[in-house]
Amino acid sequence: MTAVCFYFQVHQPVRLKRFSLFADSIPDSLYERYFDDATNKAIFGKVTDKCYLPANSLLLKLIGENEGRFRISYSLTGSFLEQAKRFRPEVIDSFHALAETGCVEFLNETYYHSLSSLFEDKTEFVEQVRMHSQELHSLFKASGKVFRNTEALFSNDMARLAEDLGFDGIVGEGHESVLGWRSPDYLYGVKGCARIKALLRNYKLSDDVSYRFSARWWPEWPLTAEKYAKWLAGAPGQCINLFMDYETFGEHQWEETGIFSFLAALPREVLKYQHLGFMTPTEVVQDNPVMGEIDVPNPISWADMERDVSAWLGNSMQRECFHALQGLELKVRETRDPEILHVWRLLQNSDHLYYLCTKSWADGDVHKYFSPFQSPYEGFINYMNILQDFRKEVEEA
Amino acid sequence: MKVAMVGWEYPPFKTGGLAVHCYELTHALARRGVEVDFYMPRTESNVAPKGDGVKIIPVGYARYGAYVTKNAYGLDFFASVHAFNNACAEELAKRGRGNDYCVVHHHDWMTAFAAMKGKYSLGLPMVSTFHSTEYDRSGMFPNGYIRDIEQKAMVNADRVITVSNYMKGQLKEKFGVDEGKIRVIYNAVRTDEFKQSWDVKHGKEKIVLFLGRLAEQKAPAQFLYAAKRVLEKERHVRFVVAGTGDMMGYLISLSVSLGISPHVTFIGYLPDEQKESVYAKSDVYVMGSVSEPFGITALEAMASGTPVIVSKTSGASEVSPHRLVVDFWDVNGLAERIVALLRYKVLRDTLAHNEYEDAKGMTWDKVADQTIGVYNEIRK
Repeated sequence: MTAVCFYFQVHQPVRLKRFSLFADSIPDSLYERYFDDATNKAIFGKVTDKCYLPANSLLLKLIGENEGRFRISYSLTGSFLEQAKRFRPEVIDSFHALAETGCVEFLNETYYHSLSSLFEDKTEFVEQVRMHSQELHSLFKASGKVFRNTEALFSNDMARLAEDLGFDGIVGEGHESVLGWRSPDYLYGVKGCARIKALLRNYKLSDDVSYRFSARWWPEWPLTAEKYAKWLAGAPGQCINLFMDYETFGEHQWEETGIFSFLAALPREVLKYQHLGFMTPTEVVQDNPVMGEIDVPNPISWADMERDVSAWLGNSMQRECFHALQGLELKVRETRDPEILHVWRLLQNSDHLYYLCTKSWADGDVHKYFSPFQSPYEGFINYMNILQDFRKEVEEA
Repeated sequence: MKVAMVGWEYPPFKTGGLAVHCYELTHALARRGVEVDFYMPRTESNVAPKGDGVKIIPVGYARYGAYVTKNAYGLDFFASVHAFNNACAEELAKRGRGNDYCVVHHHDWMTAFAAMKGKYSLGLPMVSTFHSTEYDRSGMFPNGYIRDIEQKAMVNADRVITVSNYMKGQLKEKFGVDEGKIRVIYNAVRTDEFKQSWDVKHGKEKIVLFLGRLAEQKAPAQFLYAAKRVLEKERHVRFVVAGTGDMMGYLISLSVSLGISPHVTFIGYLPDEQKESVYAKSDVYVMGSVSEPFGITALEAMASGTPVIVSKTSGASEVSPHRLVVDFWDVNGLAERIVALLRYKVLRDTLAHNEYEDAKGMTWDKVADQTIGVYNEIRK
């Protein structure tokens, strides 16, 4: 059987305020000083109504109708969960209902959607992964054995670290730079690791939904569930890993594009094929042996054309911010102040660095679409000014 | 292709940026095989193009600069503009019959009548380039006579070239020009004529530069108010004000009353040969103009690898994403960006190198290609 393995990334960054050097008064609370909860709340509310609630309720219905044969997985970041609890608690309830079906897996990742796996010292990374597992367990009794690093960051070292933390599987990008001629639709071992299995994203089939679904320039437009299921049935591997942002449903692809009708029809169309079945990542990993080994000495990710870390660390402004942030770790820990630690970790949201990307070709459009700033330079000034102010607070604490 | 172009000045005779523009444009056109007859007022300077392809045709006589302050627009001035246009139109009609011009192209209002007469006497398509309008030069109180000439030229021209989308908006809004006949062609700069900031020595004291006419339009007072705010945060900074104008006295006393005069240096009018090193030695260039059709100085700073902060109400803000932008009235916003540039070397360096690359792409050859494109749309 070929497993159709869906995983949806669910994340909302905690957006920054425009930090003014000349403000008349600044709040004492560092959270209020740096983070823009009015905007966070507004955006969270909008995405909840357009995507989270309608998509969750549709998937819940589909799971019910298919009596255990339709199975999916999510990765919910800590910064998403925190905002859900504060702004729209019914979102947590609806994920809880999904968890109860037993057909939904929750992947593990860094709580703060951070780049802490790239820190010299991995203490912070390990703590964030543990925090996230505990949170998933306490909210949903989740006990998945698959790890998904921020933005699908992946390397031999990261896989080994995940293995040491007890994970059986790790998610990565099925890119040619890693696979060469090989297909992403098999499980792979990772060089230097003993037993962890890599699930690699089939980016072509994933992007057909998340990116091209409503693209009229695409010869395959309009994409129907029937056609898509036929493509899946034509892929000969162990598992087809369809990983995408959850906001694809209703937010990146609006309801008017027909994305929900597509999703609603998909399980039925897929299950028409005897050799296809839905599985969650942990089930795939437990059911299948590896068919080869990949060697990824330098980190890859699922972002941009390069599929490397350049979306966050591609220019010197981004690297300077990253080093300044990383450099604060010891001082932050020495304060033993929970608010300071929390704020430092929120500043690790990879999105803050994503906005500073200056790559000017096609990918620039995506960065621009998500960025609240006029330009990467404005983003840099704001982030650095906040970091400088924060450093002062940490030193005085 | 042969073009009759009417201009007001040509190096070494120049009172503003128009002379340089006409010199570079006509030579770039000539390099593309376009012959240019350049009609202009006779001057005492020895005006001469380099090489073949461009021919200067001096007619009439005008002794005044077109872009000096409003006070200089005396009756004599308008009479001399009028005399030039009449003489030029006659010459154009005479030569036009023997030459196979495919278009008549003029720059700004002073040369508009000659071009309009040429259009009708020779039946030539007409191109008007507006580098600025009376609104940009005089703000709230435009000279009605000049404004009317501009309006007439825009109505009669088959194509109106202007220097930015910002200006295109102004032409639509203030003159009601049909959008379909406006073409935007940005100015160019020769990076080889400037020193680059990474090649000159910078002192301990950081330099923030203002360079322009000291007039309301250029917002020099906002520059000083921002300087005061910057000095609250950073101490080793010098604010250099280059240029002269009506507001000089006021600005000097403003710097005193703000208590920042030890940090402000007024250096007056800068000759070209000093300009290149002043840009390069500066750490930040500010062009916060209230209204700036283009703002060639921002492009010159980019060509020098000096990070620029420009106002949203300027054409230069469009030409590269590698700059910081502020509202001209936003003193705190300006100060904040100056502070950021002073504090964060990586920001200065990234902006400097990226904007320099963009400036290198803004060549006169590109301007010429775009101009030829406009000629081809309407040529006989």
